[in-house]
Amino acid sequence: MTAVAGPRGAGLSLLLSEIAVLFRRRRTWALLLALAAIPVLIAVAVRVSSAVPPGRGPAFLDRITQNGLFVAFTAMLVSVPLFLPLTVGVVAGDTIAGEANLGTLRYLLVAPAGRVRLLLVKYAGALAFCLAAPLTVALAGAAIGAALFPVGPVTLLSGDVIEPPEAVLRLLLISAYLAVSLAGLSAIGLFLSTLTVVPVGAMAATVVLSVVSQVLDQLPQLEWLHPWLFSHYWLGFGDLLRQPVLWDSFASNALLQAGYVAVFGALAYGRFVTKDVLS
Amino acid sequence: MNHRNVGAPIITGAAKQRRNRAWLRWVPAVAAPAVIAAGVLVGSIPARAGDALADKTPAEVIALLAGNRTHTFSGTIEQVSELGLPELPATGPGSGPASDDPAASAIEMLTGEHTARVFMDGKAKVRLQVVDRFAERNVIRRDDDVWFYSSRDNSTTHLTLPAHARDLPLEDQALPGTSPDSTSPDSTGPENTVVPPTPQELAAKFLAAADTTTAVSVGPEVQVAGRAAYILLLEPRTSGTLVGMIAIAVDGETGMPLSVEVTARGGGEPAFRTGFTSLSLDAPDPALFNFVPPPGSTVEELQIRHPAHPPVGPGSPGYPGTHTEPDQLEAGIKDKAGSYLTGTGWETVVELPADTGAGAKLSTALAQNPLLAQAAAVVPGGRLLSSALFNVLLTDDGRVFAGMVPADRLHAASSAP
Repeated sequence: MTAVAGPRGAGLSLLLSEIAVLFRRRRTWALLLALAAIPVLIAVAVRVSSAVPPGRGPAFLDRITQNGLFVAFTAMLVSVPLFLPLTVGVVAGDTIAGEANLGTLRYLLVAPAGRVRLLLVKYAGALAFCLAAPLTVALAGAAIGAALFPVGPVTLLSGDVIEPPEAVLRLLLISAYLAVSLAGLSAIGLFLSTLTVVPVGAMAATVVLSVVSQVLDQLPQLEWLHPWLFSHYWLGFGDLLRQPVLWDSFASNALLQAGYVAVFGALAYGRFVTKDVLS
Repeated sequence: MNHRNVGAPIITGAAKQRRNRAWLRWVPAVAAPAVIAAGVLVGSIPARAGDALADKTPAEVIALLAGNRTHTFSGTIEQVSELGLPELPATGPGSGPASDDPAASAIEMLTGEHTARVFMDGKAKVRLQVVDRFAERNVIRRDDDVWFYSSRDNSTTHLTLPAHARDLPLEDQALPGTSPDSTSPDSTGPENTVVPPTPQELAAKFLAAADTTTAVSVGPEVQVAGRAAYILLLEPRTSGTLVGMIAIAVDGETGMPLSVEVTARGGGEPAFRTGFTSLSLDAPDPALFNFVPPPGSTVEELQIRHPAHPPVGPGSPGYPGTHTEPDQLEAGIKDKAGSYLTGTGWETVVELPADTGAGAKLSTALAQNPLLAQAAAVVPGGRLLSSALFNVLLTDDGRVFAGMVPADRLHAASSAP
């Protein structure tokens, strides 16, 4: 951390150092590499196997041989239910509990930053990862797709055709959609992370919750609950592949995630500022 | 421990203060859900439009509806059905619709929730998009060209309307004065492009039934898709039908039907609802109507068999691309509705004799589709496909009876000489 230059400067430098530490960690790199491996696996599998008949497997899989950019779309679709929540759970669950576990939390709190600011900075770091994770899948997918398959105009779900640059723009939009989708889960992870000094516990609990939420979302008996589940709109990013773009699910998703961030952010605040930090 | 003896009152004071502050720290954690709950409650209360609309008699509202000349708009339609039919498992990351089977996709259209976007620019430019998860079914009409596109198998179907297209149900000739897309190509596509009916279609059909057997009244003003609307209530005067009440929201400004709700007799919640969730009367982007089959898509040309034959309608045998089974299954509320409701009211039972082969086809559909087989209960003399709003009886001798009537009426009709 650089010299303290007023409260705002201190917050900014704390944030920068947090993000730098996060992305310098070997574990973060391992997580991102694992995510990048998903599109590579898909692309190689499609390349070496025979053509996929339409309507089989995940959506877009049959389009890959005609257009490499669909590797990215397929990989994002495949990584949403488990891989993205898994990596985000690891990062978010580690935020506070990881420092507590290493015994560095009390040193961080000795600095004039204050607990609220530390909490905000930790959450911002988790959000940065939420943005980086889907972006990694998208870029790795586009790159491997372009390397192994022809790249051309992309057919949207509506049957309209867009040029590759616009398709890349849609890929970035989907990354943003997924980043927003994971914000709620990150807030839950942050809260769970304030409850324990065992980071693995918080990580596992976060991942388990994301799975539970998705399972509940599948049960028709709980239909009244579905719009309230943080995973409800996770697979709604297909709406960005229509012409014109259907923004409804983006808006609903953002609102829902904002609610989760508010509730679990407040819970994390209540817990963290009243907690006795012993390690 | 020992300092307690020294300055007990001071320490207790400080501890109490700290505990008070600790309590304060949990206030946001309680307030956040409370604020969200309050926001949801406020949002769920239907916005009262005040007295924005002048009072109108039912006849005036019907006239307003008939005078609707809205041909340019874009909007989103949401359809929710709770008819008691089995729902297709439409979840998971796969692309919907779940089945290739036309009968199953017809059933799918009648269950659960569906969203469609409609774009219209004048009478001859229409685009309807049925929004499925990671899939979309499109119907695009531009002048004489009609395209059907399904993203699921990347298939395109093309239909060229003959010059006298007004004979086809793609023009607003069927019911003069109703909305132009009341008979738009919606339900006439290839079997994989089954799309839900629009509020306009349904309003036209139900209004056609509003004869002397129906009590018509105007309900309190409502807001649909952010627009003030009259509610036209149609109530069958007979107890011999499953339909309890039909509510049609009519836009106070343009007379456009904004939503249609059908409540079953004795049911509280609407069993079927379709309506706009958003609506803009601006002209949509003209590029939306320029459809070119995407690369790699299989294009099938549909031929119109007897373009000069006037009453060819969706569901008529021989109508291009129409399979008979789905039509029969939904005979109660879909295409057939208009034709028989005008005749003898809500208690009508449609009979398809065995020699039309309808029963055999339905029987095959039931045999092939476990979902339908599950829905159809075995009753004395045949099998009954039962729902909250309509019943279909398939007798053992191959006849089909359908109607928005209780099942015993179908049995009575089937056993009548």
